[in-house]
Order: sequence, then structure tokens, then C-alpha cells
Amino acid sequence: MTLVPGNVFGFWMFVVISVIVVYMIRASQNDKIQVSIRTIPGLEAIEECVGRATEMGRPIHFSPGLGDVVSDSVPDTLAALQILSYVTDIAARYDSQLLVTIRMPNVYPLAVETVRQAYTAANKGDAYKDNTVRYISSDQDAYAAGVIGLMHQEQVASSILAGLYMGEALLLAESAARLGIMQVAITASVMQVPFFVAACDYTVIGEELYAAGAYLSNDKGRLGAIAAQDYIKLIVIAITILGTIVTSFGSTFIQELVTK
Amino acid sequence: MRKEVPLLITLIVSIIVMLSRITTGPVPLIGISMPELFEEYISPWMTVVSAFALCLASVNLIMVHSGNISRKRQEWVYSLILLVTLIIYGAFCTYVELNPDNETAAANYSLIYNYILSPLMTGQWACLAFYVASASYRAFRARNLEATVLLVSAILVMLGAAPVGSLIWSKFPTIQQWLLDVPNMAGQRALLIGAAIGSFVASLRTMLGIERSHLGIGGSS
Repeated sequence: MTLVPGNVFGFWMFVVISVIVVYMIRASQNDKIQVSIRTIPGLEAIEECVGRATEMGRPIHFSPGLGDVVSDSVPDTLAALQILSYVTDIAARYDSQLLVTIRMPNVYPLAVETVRQAYTAANKGDAYKDNTVRYISSDQDAYAAGVIGLMHQEQVASSILAGLYMGEALLLAESAARLGIMQVAITASVMQVPFFVAACDYTVIGEELYAAGAYLSNDKGRLGAIAAQDYIKLIVIAITILGTIVTSFGSTFIQELVTK
Repeated sequence: MRKEVPLLITLIVSIIVMLSRITTGPVPLIGISMPELFEEYISPWMTVVSAFALCLASVNLIMVHSGNISRKRQEWVYSLILLVTLIIYGAFCTYVELNPDNETAAANYSLIYNYILSPLMTGQWACLAFYVASASYRAFRARNLEATVLLVSAILVMLGAAPVGSLIWSKFPTIQQWLLDVPNMAGQRALLIGAAIGSFVASLRTMLGIERSHLGIGGSS
């Protein structure tokens, strides 16, 4: 068994980064390092979203995005499910009705388990209903139409859109804005960020999606992983600057190294 | 066991999937390559699990909409349309699959898609033009410095892209291209690199069993 050419550098970077991540997680869990994350207004607004829905006596809508758990969008979907766990916890404490809409069938059982566990942890197991988590459609257009229809029917007060989004991002967000729904969008989908910024009250972008679980749970292990990300960024920045300088002087050393 | 078995499966499967993308040649002791191992042993399981998940999701869909109809909830008629369409479309599809030689049935099946579903979807997407306009109007109001920068950039890009822009001033297309290629591209790449690192670390946490909330086992360990 040999590495396919073009993947050698990537594989060894994977090994190095894995060591950094595991070390930082253990260090954070053993209190060798103290990790804190700057305030992210969009994530702070989640509680406001749930509170608004409670005051208005209307449901709060949550979507874990269009991603699946058997594709490249796995990290986005799992990050969205971590946020769902937090939202359910607050909704349970406030006795607010929660509506979760699902696009991909594979995500449905995970979302059901996440919501059920969060309700049980909050000693509100009875609050979970069969229609709390709803499968809409795996078709992108039908999902958007279904969610917009549900927002009208159920007179949703707040909406949280987390995870991977595609072309229907503006359909969902602008329809909700026209209904006066308070919205928080949390996504790493670069092309959809402008639409969310234009239509939503709060937008959490890029890597903040993956940091949301650590931010909201304040879990030491997760915070350690976020600290590791900063060190990895430093490595990437160093390689980028070094590559720029070396290439400017006519050397192809860095190019050959990263494509090895 | 309830904790360890799913974590072990996650670790083994993720290693196989990762190595199937970047390695070649037979694995010592096993005798087959990682891509073959993935295709023969992992891929069929993904199909089976997906089929079960689809069953669960379909049961949920039918239960929710049956409940809407039986309780005559607001706009219950749409739930009825959904269930009737589900049955008709499912039955028609099954018939077409079982009778591949019946070209008339296959053509009629395509008609449903081409003349009902496709126009509905096109109509839905057509709304986007108006949604872009209304969302842009709200976003471009100069409430603070950031919104003002956004407004000015948007005006310059629009003037550069519209034919009338170059008639007003020939430099508008050049400015538009610079805005797209330099500040916009720099921002997008920064966002992408950060997101890629975040995504990688999140995957690693799941792969190593450090992240386990999706399994309903609580936070990280």
C-alpha cells in the first residue's frame, strides 16, 4: 500500500495536525491551558431568538441545513446538530415549542436523537412530540417550499438556519424576513453568506460554525480543539508567506513540497 | 459497550474512507486495496443505512401530514395533496420500473415531472429576482460605516456590470473587476481557509471519538 502521488504532503500534515489537536484537547481538559473565545453576537442571539418565541407564544424553527452525513458536508451537519442540542436545551427550559425541519433522510434519525436527548437532559422528556422533528423532502426546491409553507402555517416567531446552504438560502431567509421572523444564520457556505447577511438579523460565518459547539457548551475538550485551530492557522500562514517569498525568488521548492 | 462500539465503527470506517482516497495497492495481510475495501464493504452498508433512514423519514412525513388531515388543521388540504401525490407518484414509478417495455407509461411518468413539477420549481426560483432586490434594499441602507462601504461597492459593481456604466465612465468595468478580483477574492479565500481548517478539526474530533454528541452520548470526552 502506497500513497497516491499528490497526497504525501497532505497525509503528513494530517498526522502533524492530528497530534496538535489531540494534545491541545488533552491540555485543555487537564487545565494546562485556559481557552476563551471572543464574543460572537450571532450565537449570543440564539437565546434571544428562543426568548422571543416564548414571549410571543409561537414556535421556533431550526434547520440543520441541506448537508448530509455521508458526504463532504458532514462537519457542517454535525456542527449544526451541536447547535440544535443547545437550542433544544433552551427551548426546554423556556417551555417553547420547537420545530426542526430536515432535508436529508440520513440526518433525520440523528436530529431526532439529538432533540430527544436534549429534552431528556433538561427533564422535559414529555415535551418531545413526533412532529417536533419533521422530514420535509430531500429535493432542494421542495424543502425550501415546505419550510416556507410551515413558517406561514405555524406562525413561527424565530428561525435558526445552521449548516450547509445552497441556492435556496435567500428563498428561506427572505421569506422569513417578510413574515417578520427573527433570524440567525450560521453557515460556512461562502457563496450564501451575502444573502444571509442581507436577509437575516444575525449571521455567523465561516469557521465560527464549527466553533459554535464549543462556544455554546463551554466544553473544555471542544475549546482545546478551537485553540488547536489557531496553531494550525499559524502553520498555514507561515507556509503561505514562505511560499510567496520563495516563489518570488524563482524557487519551486514549496510548490513541489505541497504537491508531492 | 453502547459508547465504545459506535465510536470504534466511526474510527475504523473513517480511516478506510480516508485511505481509500489517498492510497493505492493491496493492504498487507488483507490482500486488497483500500479503494476496493471501501467499494465492496463500506459502500453497500451506506446504501442499507440510507434506505433505513429514508423509511424512518417517510414514516414521519406520513404521520405528520395524516395528523394534519385528521385534525383538520390549518391548510390541511395541502397535506392531503402531498399524501395523494406521494401515493400516485410512488405507484406510477413502481409500475414503470416493473414494466420497462411500456414506453407509454414511461412517457406519461415524464409528463408529470415536465409539466407539473418543473414549472412549479421554475416559478419558485423566479421569486429570487424580487427577493434579491428587497434584501439588497435593506442591506444597502447606509446605517453605519460597513453598510456604507457595502453600498458604495455594490453601486460600483452594478455600474461596471451594466452596459450603461461604461457609457457614463469607461473605468467602471475596470473598477468592478478589481473589486471582484482583489478585495472580494481575498475575503472569500480567507473565509475558505478558515472554514477548511475548522471543518478538518471538526472531522478529526468526530473521527477520534472526541466529539460524540451526534451519537446521543453527551459532549466531548
